[in-house]
Amino acid sequence: MSFGVIAIWVVALGALAMCLRRSPALGRRAVADAGGALWRVLPVMLMALPMAAFIAELIPAGWAEQWLGPDSGFVGVVLASLAGGMLPGGPFVTFPLVLGFLKAGAGPAQMVALISGWAILGMHRTLAWELPILGGRFIVLRLMASFALPLLAGMAAELLLPLFPGASLR
Amino acid sequence: MLRRNATFLVISALTLASALAVWWLRGWAAVQHALGATWDLILTVLPSILGGLLLSAALRQLVPPGALARWMGAESGLRGLLVATAAGMAMPGGPVAAFPVVLVLAQAGADRGALIAFVLAWSLNGFQRIVVWELPILGHDFALLRLLCGLPLPILAGLIARWLPIRWSPADAPGMQGVATTRPDRAA
Repeated sequence: MSFGVIAIWVVALGALAMCLRRSPALGRRAVADAGGALWRVLPVMLMALPMAAFIAELIPAGWAEQWLGPDSGFVGVVLASLAGGMLPGGPFVTFPLVLGFLKAGAGPAQMVALISGWAILGMHRTLAWELPILGGRFIVLRLMASFALPLLAGMAAELLLPLFPGASLR
Repeated sequence: MLRRNATFLVISALTLASALAVWWLRGWAAVQHALGATWDLILTVLPSILGGLLLSAALRQLVPPGALARWMGAESGLRGLLVATAAGMAMPGGPVAAFPVVLVLAQAGADRGALIAFVLAWSLNGFQRIVVWELPILGHDFALLRLLCGLPLPILAGLIARWLPIRWSPADAPGMQGVATTRPDRAA
């Protein structure tokens, strides 16, 4: 049980208590909603979770260290941002992959760029969700306003890294 | 419904293909190793997922989606971008929930800068995702470093979006029919 798990349960139960205080029906609907969401999310997640582990097995040993190492600098940040944009799937694929990269010797600043690239450029989410709901014009506006930001995040991380010695996980 | 099944099939095909590739290139032991790692991961994140889903469902009952929109209009200035950023970070759930909320906010008067800031704050710094995934998997030092670097970006993107001469209104969105007037899809 990590601190994060305990915190989220405390807040969740607090929010549920607020629902129940307004009316018991509202509390029941919150629990039913959560159950419905779990039912919808779980099948995709259980299929997607092994993907990260399989991809991690396929990535050649030393790849992350060689191209995205702590000394790869700005080039590594650029590569990581682009790689992040091409990662498929949700957080259950990305964060375990990043954990694998970090343990294999990738630089934390480069991994900050990779996560930012995944969150901002994320090809998969853009095509699967944003395009059908908000349309191409919104995507053009959003990408023009934000495509350079993963690089900024990576460079900022490079500067702040000395303050977070535990970030490299080694 | 169709989209979810399509997503499930695509994800399943990709997972199966990667499993076959591992078996072909690295052998059966590597497949077993990957499955073992998956099981450990499930045990790590399942408590957070259950708590996170309950939290997002309870918040949805308490906070109506359009409640913040009047704070985010074109005249709202930097404060509007800050409000949009905070709303995006508090927005629970995945893209199924977040993108329809963009439509609701837009219809209720949020301008393009605020909408871009909202989307970026959600995808980059969503509180639920940080607590459920990033913190338990990557540890607090990395998560804090990443969050610090990502915190100013949505406001930056909102300012750039206001400055860019690209107009966008909810009428340009294909998802406008039927979505914006009803509550957003609840899948997380």
